[in-house]
Amino acid sequence: MLARSSELATYSSDGLPGYRLRPRLAVFPTTKQQLIDVVRLLAREHCPFVARGAGTGLSAGALASGDAVVIGLNRLNRILRIDPANRLAVVEPGAVNVTLTRAAGAHGLHYAPDPSSQTACTIGGNVAENSGGPHCLKYGVTLNHVAALEVILASGEIVALGNADGEADGYDLLGAFIGSEGCFGIALEVTVKLTPNPQGVRTLLADFMSIDAGARATSAIIAAGILPAALEMMDGPTIRAVEASIYAAGYPADADAVLLIELDGLDAGLDADVRLVEKHCLAAGARTVRIAANEDERARLWQGRKKAFGAMGRIAPDLVVQDAVIPRTKLPEVLRAIAAIAARWQIQVCNVFHAGDGNLHPNIGYDSRNADESRRVGMAMRDIMRACIDAGGTITGEHGIGLDKLEYMPQIFSPESLAAQCALRDAFDPERRANPGKVVPVHSCREWRGA
Amino acid sequence: MSTAAVQERVRKHVVPAGFECATAAAPLRIVGSGTWLDAGRPVHDAETLSVAGDDADDAIVEYVASDLTLTARAGATLASIARVTGAEGQWLALDPFGSAGGTLGATIATGSTGPLAHAFGTPRDNVLGLEAVTGTGEIVRAGGRVVKNVAGFDLTRLFTGAWGTLAVITEATVRLRARPERDETIALALPSGDALDAWLAKLRALPFSPLALELLNAALATALGLGDRPILLARLGGNDDSVREQLRVFSVLGEMHPAPHATWRSLAEIEPAGAAVARVSAPPSRLHALWARLANGGDSSLVHAAVERGIVRCIHSASVDDSAVSIAQWLERIAHTDGTHIFERLPAREWSRVPARVNDPLSRAVRGAFDPHRILNRGILGDVA
Repeated sequence: MLARSSELATYSSDGLPGYRLRPRLAVFPTTKQQLIDVVRLLAREHCPFVARGAGTGLSAGALASGDAVVIGLNRLNRILRIDPANRLAVVEPGAVNVTLTRAAGAHGLHYAPDPSSQTACTIGGNVAENSGGPHCLKYGVTLNHVAALEVILASGEIVALGNADGEADGYDLLGAFIGSEGCFGIALEVTVKLTPNPQGVRTLLADFMSIDAGARATSAIIAAGILPAALEMMDGPTIRAVEASIYAAGYPADADAVLLIELDGLDAGLDADVRLVEKHCLAAGARTVRIAANEDERARLWQGRKKAFGAMGRIAPDLVVQDAVIPRTKLPEVLRAIAAIAARWQIQVCNVFHAGDGNLHPNIGYDSRNADESRRVGMAMRDIMRACIDAGGTITGEHGIGLDKLEYMPQIFSPESLAAQCALRDAFDPERRANPGKVVPVHSCREWRGA
Repeated sequence: MSTAAVQERVRKHVVPAGFECATAAAPLRIVGSGTWLDAGRPVHDAETLSVAGDDADDAIVEYVASDLTLTARAGATLASIARVTGAEGQWLALDPFGSAGGTLGATIATGSTGPLAHAFGTPRDNVLGLEAVTGTGEIVRAGGRVVKNVAGFDLTRLFTGAWGTLAVITEATVRLRARPERDETIALALPSGDALDAWLAKLRALPFSPLALELLNAALATALGLGDRPILLARLGGNDDSVREQLRVFSVLGEMHPAPHATWRSLAEIEPAGAAVARVSAPPSRLHALWARLANGGDSSLVHAAVERGIVRCIHSASVDDSAVSIAQWLERIAHTDGTHIFERLPAREWSRVPARVNDPLSRAVRGAFDPHRILNRGILGDVA
């Protein structure tokens, strides 16, 4: 247990700059029973709490203030079982994403959701956020890869959600829990589905002299019905940040956009798809399309993408990693709009994102000690969110609402829809003690007619 | 029917505050095209609320082929969606058992699946957003029209598969897929006896994912005109090179024959009206044991199984064969097969034997939040007041 101010500093922020809130206490159960005991003690005291995994979240979702106690789950990090025959694994909530994939590798399997933070982030945190990652384009997000959960509700009651031993039946409370950002309870054990490693993989890098051309290539590939395992885009500023860092991946530094495209599956047929992708890229204006010749080259191309956020860290002391989703056909126009917004507020936006899903990550490097710059960054973020909403999109594809996106919720949901979301939370946690104040603005949680 | 009209109908049934004890609200039975109405427990003394529209073409609200997304009214039939998307070389990869005249709303509300779930998952994996009217008459929108979305608590998943007991689904946005360049159906003879277990393990370890893999017992193969022995029916998709290699891999696994593509539709519509249908599922490594018990029951039950999902589906119909064992015995055998049991259709009197799945405190709290007067499809999931 940590209670001193200096000790709690680590738990006063997450991966998103601009928010600092100090919890009352932070506790770190090391066994499932300790976690149960902690939650039940807090229930008796009617005390609010915030579950926290690795703290890599990007929506200020794992911050606690006032009386709230942080329950750190990173010591509950064991892989309890792997069942290769049924491609299932049971893990504690603090198990690290990539650790599971490494353990499953012995059986020719992996855990498909692969957020950029996968070397640190926890499966419990992935469940809370319904995390995605580059390979979710083909394989789906966390929702599609969790078979069952054992959950402790804020009341201290333990419930089983989903069914790992057959078909799920009854209300899809498992689906409701995944992505509930810690507001519905804490997962004690997570049963995940494992995915067979593909027989063949082809990784391509296409470079373009304009973002527009890269966006058009993306739209063309999706519209042609090709489903790559991943289809990632990086813009010029991102490319140059990566190439100037220790993560240099060999991206052409003078390009204005690159697409990192991965195709996987049965070896037979992959090359035909590679030729199709190549054709669409060249037709959209690609300068070159390069295919990784071996595993080393493939790993290097991916390292640049996965460490792009780290590379940007060299450029500015603070980095806002934004998250929004738009229809894939709207990529060219929304990327143009973002460039115009950046120019208007005189800020530098680096775009590195899951283009195949239309999941944008406009990132802004800045210095949070500079009040004027911070204000302009804030205004630019609002304009970018507005542009995405206006294009028929949504305000987050994988980072969650947390505290950071609360203000946008009324822009995409009616008061009735927000109240219905509150009603669902109240069924799980009537006292609203689990991660209070997150996801749905408090004022939207008016008395629901049904309650 | 418009969302406002659905809302008006529901609101007429909402009991005014303060009158809860005095008046029992009359329930509403939510109906799409009415082809699957015998599924689920009976809803007694209910008025019908039909969400199907008069003109099927108006039911498609928005179809952006290049985004592979489609928004349609709940009353849109799967057949009409297949027609519209097929013209663009796309499909909604949900093929629930039953008539193709079934609606999108009913498919989502009941979480119904078919053989394609092997590759594409169930409705929860394919629905991007919903509009629905809750049991308190509120119009709620959940999710959106984009393919990735974590904004807010997930009412989309909550309403999907809730059998209309939380809200009446009025509109849905779904994810579409490109039709594969080639789409081939083949049949393989099943190895007999103990060899089946190892053979199924080989199927699950294939280096590719077929579109569908279903075991059919002898009675079902016969009914579909595919010989008189138990078979594996496989649907393979992909580009030319890929499908050629998939066919080669299957040819090594056993005696292989091409089967007509129409077999899948025939399978979906095989059960006679009034047939009792149940599913038993377990982890796929146990499928052999389930299959051995349920597929060869010595009666004329039509039985098939989803290899990757470990689900055995049993169709009992006295009309198929006069020597059929009674429903009671059939039910007994299913109940005594270890696994998860889900009943799709039963004679009304038999439902009392089946435990309800939504009577746990959390499910009841959820029901209470969205349909406190239990107006919507009351009793269809076996919920009690």
